[in-house]
Amino acid sequence: MENLTIEETKYTPRINLNMEDGLIELKGKSYPENTFEFYKPMMDWVESYFSGSEQAKTIINFEIIYFNSSSSKLFFDFFDLIEEVVNKGKYIEINWIYDAENDSALEAGEDFKEDFEKLNFKLVEK
Amino acid sequence: MEAFENKLIGEIEELQSKFTLTTQKLIKDVRRQDKIMARSDKRQKQEYDELQKKFAEVEALQKEIEETQKEVVFTMGAIGESRSKETGNHVKRVAQYSKILALYYGMDKKEAEMLKQASPMHDIGKVAIPDAVLNKPGRFNESERKIMDTHAQLGFDMLNKSTRPLLQMATTVAYEHHEKWNGKGYPQGLKGEEIHIYGRITALADVFDALGSSRVYKEAWDDERIFKMFKEERGEHFDPKLIDIFFENLDEFLAIRDSLKDV
Repeated sequence: MENLTIEETKYTPRINLNMEDGLIELKGKSYPENTFEFYKPMMDWVESYFSGSEQAKTIINFEIIYFNSSSSKLFFDFFDLIEEVVNKGKYIEINWIYDAENDSALEAGEDFKEDFEKLNFKLVEK
Repeated sequence: MEAFENKLIGEIEELQSKFTLTTQKLIKDVRRQDKIMARSDKRQKQEYDELQKKFAEVEALQKEIEETQKEVVFTMGAIGESRSKETGNHVKRVAQYSKILALYYGMDKKEAEMLKQASPMHDIGKVAIPDAVLNKPGRFNESERKIMDTHAQLGFDMLNKSTRPLLQMATTVAYEHHEKWNGKGYPQGLKGEEIHIYGRITALADVFDALGSSRVYKEAWDDERIFKMFKEERGEHFDPKLIDIFFENLDEFLAIRDSLKDV
C-alpha cells in the first residue's frame, strides 16, 4: 500500500500516513465543509493498514489546535477503530499534542483519554 | 414440544443479548453526542465572549485613531494660525461656519463634519512664510504680498502627500481657499465651480471671520460694512449660492461668532 499525505489548508489539517514508519499524523485545524468526506481517504487508509500492513508498533500523533463538532465525532469513530485494533493485540501509542495556552485542545484530549481507557493515550504538552 | 420451546427461548435470549449490546452502544453514542455538544457549547460561549472583547477593543482603537487624527489636524491648523496674526478662536469659528455652509449647501452630515475638521488647516502653508513677512505690522508691499500669497501653494505641497481622506480634503481647502468665483483669485485663478466646493466654503468662512476681527493693522469691520461687501462680492469673490445661504441663515453665523469670541 502507498503512503498518503494531504497538505494543510485553512480549514483542514495536514495528514501524514506513513506505512514504513508506522506513523499516523494529523496537524492543524479541522473544520472541513464536509468532515466525513474529507476524512474518508484517511479512514480507508487506516483500515487497510491495520489489515495486515501494520508495523509492530504504530504511533499516532494528533496535534489539532481547533476543530468543529463533526470532527470531534469523527475522531471518536477513529479511536473506536483504533480500540478494536488494540483489542486484537496490536501495539499502538497515541500522542495528543497541545499547546499550553490552548485550554480547549487540552480538554478535548482529556475527553478522548477518558473515553478510551484501554488505549495508550498520552497528553503531550508542546 | 419441550424442545421446541427451549429453542425459541434460546433464540429470544440471543436476541436479548444482541439487543443489550445495541442499546449499550446507543447509550454510549448518545453520551458521546452530549459530550461533543457540551464541549461545543462551552467553546462557542468562550469564543463569543472573546469576540465581543475584541470588538470592543477595535472600537476603542478606532475611536482613539479618529480622535488623534482630529487633534493632529486641529493642532496643525492652530500652529498655522499661531505663526500669523490671527487669534486662536479664528480657526474654531471658521470650522463652525464651514460646517453650516456645507450642510445648507446640501452635503451629508459626515462630509460636513469632515469639512469642519479640515477647514482649520486652510492657512497651514503660512508656517513656511518668513517671520519678517508674516508678522510685518501694516500693509505688505508688492513683493511681500507675492511671498504671502505662496502660502496656498505651500499648504498644498505640505498636505498633498497624504492619502488620508481628511488630509486630502485639507489639501483642497489649503490650495483653493484664496480662489475667487470670478477667476481673479490665486494661486490657480480658477473660476466658478472649477473651484472645489470645499475651497469656496472655506473662502467665505475665512473672510467673514477675518473682516469681523480686529488686527494690529486694522480695526474690526462693523456688520453693516461686512454685509454690504458680501452683497457686492456675490458672484465676484464668492459663490452666489453660498452668499444666499449666508444671509438666509445669518442668525446662526452670528450665534457662532458670539459663542467663540476672542478674549
